[in-house]
Amino acid sequence: MIWLIFAILAPVIGGFVFGIERKVKARIQGRMGPPLMQPFYDFAKLMDKRPMMIHSLHALMGIMYFVAEWFALFVLFLGNDLLIAVFFHVLAVLALVIGASSVRSSYSALGALRELMHMISYEPFMVLMVVAFYLVSGSFNFKDILNSQAPIYQLPLVFLSFLLIIPMMLQKSPFDIAEAHQEIIGGPEIEYSGPFYEAIYTGKWIEYIYVFFFVFLFGGSNYILGSILVIFAFLFVNILDNSTARLDFRKMVKFSWVVLIPLAALNIILLALWR
Amino acid sequence: MGWIVFFNIVTPWILAFFIFYAKNDKVTNFLTFLTLPMLIIFAFLAYINHSYPLISTPEFLDYLIGVYDFGLLGYFLYQGIIKKSFLVTSLAIIQILFLIIVLLMKNYSDTPDIFVDNLTKLFYFIVALVGVPIAIYATKYMEYDEKEKHRFVAIIIWFLGVMNFAVSVNNIEWFFALFETTTLASFILIGFRKDEEATNNAVLALWMNQIGGVAILISLMIFIHVNGIYHFSDLLNHPASVSLAGLGFLSLSALVKGAQMPFHKWLLGAMVAPTPVSAILHSATMVKIAPFLILRISPIIKGTLLAKLLIIATGYVFVVAAIIALTQNNFKRILAYSTISLLGLMMLSAAVGTPVAVVASIILIIFHAFAKGFLFIEAGILEKAFQIKYIEQMKRLIEKAPLTLMFLFFGFLNMTFVPFGTFIGKWLMIEEASNFLSHGSYMILILYVGAGSAFLSVLYMKVLGVSVRKTHGISNIKFIPLPKRFNFVSIWYYLWLLALGLFIAPFIADFVVPVANSITGAYAAVTSDHLTLYVGNSTLYFWQILGAMVILTLIHALPYLVKFKVDTVHPYNCGEVFPKYIGTFNFECIKKYENILIAFSIALFILVVVLGGGLL
Repeated sequence: MIWLIFAILAPVIGGFVFGIERKVKARIQGRMGPPLMQPFYDFAKLMDKRPMMIHSLHALMGIMYFVAEWFALFVLFLGNDLLIAVFFHVLAVLALVIGASSVRSSYSALGALRELMHMISYEPFMVLMVVAFYLVSGSFNFKDILNSQAPIYQLPLVFLSFLLIIPMMLQKSPFDIAEAHQEIIGGPEIEYSGPFYEAIYTGKWIEYIYVFFFVFLFGGSNYILGSILVIFAFLFVNILDNSTARLDFRKMVKFSWVVLIPLAALNIILLALWR
Repeated sequence: MGWIVFFNIVTPWILAFFIFYAKNDKVTNFLTFLTLPMLIIFAFLAYINHSYPLISTPEFLDYLIGVYDFGLLGYFLYQGIIKKSFLVTSLAIIQILFLIIVLLMKNYSDTPDIFVDNLTKLFYFIVALVGVPIAIYATKYMEYDEKEKHRFVAIIIWFLGVMNFAVSVNNIEWFFALFETTTLASFILIGFRKDEEATNNAVLALWMNQIGGVAILISLMIFIHVNGIYHFSDLLNHPASVSLAGLGFLSLSALVKGAQMPFHKWLLGAMVAPTPVSAILHSATMVKIAPFLILRISPIIKGTLLAKLLIIATGYVFVVAAIIALTQNNFKRILAYSTISLLGLMMLSAAVGTPVAVVASIILIIFHAFAKGFLFIEAGILEKAFQIKYIEQMKRLIEKAPLTLMFLFFGFLNMTFVPFGTFIGKWLMIEEASNFLSHGSYMILILYVGAGSAFLSVLYMKVLGVSVRKTHGISNIKFIPLPKRFNFVSIWYYLWLLALGLFIAPFIADFVVPVANSITGAYAAVTSDHLTLYVGNSTLYFWQILGAMVILTLIHALPYLVKFKVDTVHPYNCGEVFPKYIGTFNFECIKKYENILIAFSIALFILVVVLGGGLL
């Protein structure tokens, strides 16, 4: 039941997380930053704008991105298999990519293709991470993982790799390649406006919940440890975001495939042999 | 039972014979349409018949097949000589010599020669439901500036009969005959247009598949020499003593037939033929013999070094073919590479051989057959009705050919996304491999499946991304009426895939699992309850299936139905001039590694035979 409420409230919580992030980011840069509720003010403002679209397909895909993202969260919280939830996340990517490629805008199309590169980088890792959880807790059900001993002790390298995968999933520097504000002006989002942009925007908030929930799982039955890990990951990602420059997408794919995935695989093999 | 099997095999041969000699439009169309209900009924009769799977045949049939073998190999020899192909000629001579040796070595066995178990019945269904619509499609397709329509349709229907025969045999010597007959059929079909390119590719397919034939003959010699048996059922009854070297060569022939790298060139070459040929080679017949063969022997090879090497080799192909597919720009080539890739996955899961892995393999076979048949049909329509062959030409397809794009879209969704069979196959494989992981093995399997499925998703999204691009707000979608037979076949596949996707849980639990159980002889822990699928401790709830289905339906079909009443604007595009043409990533950077990747696959291939077969 609690998970159902959590899933329904996800956009609101995600909005707060986003607000906190803007605040943290501003403080790192020595600014005051917007109020905590700013994402919701933005929400109200965007919903109030006159709706405009390029064509129906494009606008619809923006909404579908939000729906699919939210549905993936429901699958994560109410289903009992993490692996399925990981595959459901691809549906959201599909909607985003189809929408972004459907307009005659070079920035949008380029962003869509780069989004695919992001997916190549993090998708296999996510599968690997879920398998690692299975190895620790003997189940794909996240409730069993939350009842078992904290996986972080047995999966330190997986956690380390995941810390660097998070920027790829949330489009943070140095891996904010698909969004790349100074370069391709937001990539897939550029052509959305008004309420349709709001759908994409809220979808991103839900993605925060999705990603940080996986971080929380590393705490296992020790919820305090899980919370600490989430806060640590949150701060780490933000500091990384503010202190690094954007990389090339080739470097991202290479980094993921040559360093992060082998690292996680090594952790899993060593763990399997150790026990 | 014997008569039902007889009708399943012989009906297509007889109908093909009539079509071939009647050379009349009405006869061809009528008989082709007639094949569909007939084969479905016979497949269904075979399915509900639970009698003993082994069926004896009259003695003269054995001699007949021996004679037929020599005739067939003689024809190959003749073709090798007139086409001036050294490889074809020498391989045909080698096969004739080996066949003589086999016939001399062979001792009398009273094991029946026909073996119709659940796996065979499944293939009857695939041939009827996936294969025959392609023949119906071909009756219209060949009317677009192609020659010899009747001969073509007749060969395709005959091919279906050959396939039905090939999956029902028990005697490996007969299997060799049927294996080479499918080679002959593909040789004729690939070279159908008779121009230089078609002939070259047909010869390529011929000699590559002949290598598979040689491998079967070698394995036969080994089996007869070491074990004194040459029937599949006998092999399955003596799992411990069967010679691994023989099994190694048998798997080699499967790898060749399944177009695994480095023998993938023949399947790529097949695309020069009319599109129904590709459709039929990729979906219901020919390449599906490969996973069929591995499934047949999977209880014997399970857990051996051979199975592990097969897993490594086919999994490698699964990933690498998907990567190379990214660099292609010919639409049919992309589809061909994705077939090669997924065949790798099917054989991988068949080689793992545990009950759940076998379930995964069968699911992949079924859904790949439907989806690939569907995609090739649509590719053919694009080619004939819209003159589109390359993905650059597919830009703004959504305006030119909205309905065809919708079908293509759905086919692609079926190849990787959530509630559909291909996803279930991958999911089951990862779960199954995770169980082994506690012993520290099969790590590479998980990496293969995770990576390969990510690459395939990227491939499909890339192609779709090009085709959905539209001009400005004003959408002027034109529905161009297509021929009725094209629409019939498209909707046939569409509805089947939709229904199978929605009712996937009972379908798997009630239809696929019994097949897998009869192969492995153990119980696969896959059940369903109220359209929800249970696999071990994991659950795919019906609301998840339904939700994914609704989301995907909205994504692929609604753009044609939904019209928001909202003001439209031009794209912002940062205020710059609109680009005339937006391309897509061509992954040029991967191309230079292609030869290295293929060279590595050759090494794995040799390892499978040499180490896996225990030749060292």
